[in-house]
Amino acid sequence: MSFKGIYSKLVTLFSFLLTILFTYTAVSKLNHLDLFQWRLERMPYISSYASLISWGVPFLELVIAGLLWFPKYRTMSLYASLILLGSFTTYIIVVLKYSESIPCSCGGVISVLGWRDHILLNISFMVLSLMGILWSKKQYNIQTNQNTVQ
Amino acid sequence: MKSNFLKLVLPAFAILLAVGLAFATEESNLPYVGYIATQSGYAEIQTDCPNLGEGYCYEGLDQVFNDSGLTDPKRTWD
Repeated sequence: MSFKGIYSKLVTLFSFLLTILFTYTAVSKLNHLDLFQWRLERMPYISSYASLISWGVPFLELVIAGLLWFPKYRTMSLYASLILLGSFTTYIIVVLKYSESIPCSCGGVISVLGWRDHILLNISFMVLSLMGILWSKKQYNIQTNQNTVQ
Repeated sequence: MKSNFLKLVLPAFAILLAVGLAFATEESNLPYVGYIATQSGYAEIQTDCPNLGEGYCYEGLDQVFNDSGLTDPKRTWD
């Protein structure tokens, strides 16, 4: 199998996993939107933006999940995944370090995870996004080189 | 053919799987019932503490319990 094939398959696999994660958490939030907003209102630092975040985050997650399947927007959506997951992970770490109140506002069955496990899960998906970005570029470079040779 | 599979079936499968999972695990997303001490005895509240982990669960300054007798402290992650 060529390197191009391997990179392409791996990026598709990462997109598949990220799509499941984002769609799952978005649907879990939208399913109980009032509950999600209630949880956000109790979170430190972001309570005043609860209404905006409660709509914005699931919407953003669904848009990213969709765009991951359009080759033209794949790299951009992988960057967006990395930024979204990175922001959330940074927020969790800041809250754990500097705040006494840490109510969970995570989606679905993920809320059963402890905070450390949650951070590990986020970091794992961030690594997938990062590898997806790097390999998308690599795949693009291989394609460009092949076109130049031909 | 193979390309169409990747372009259409795989994302559709991922989305259907995620939506199905979200509805299947809907219950775990709901808040739990807990009890806090008040001047008149106790009050029933909703909390996110899953009663797992080592730490004690608090809602603001109030410790949360599993029972209305306020004897069994609700647990949460440290």
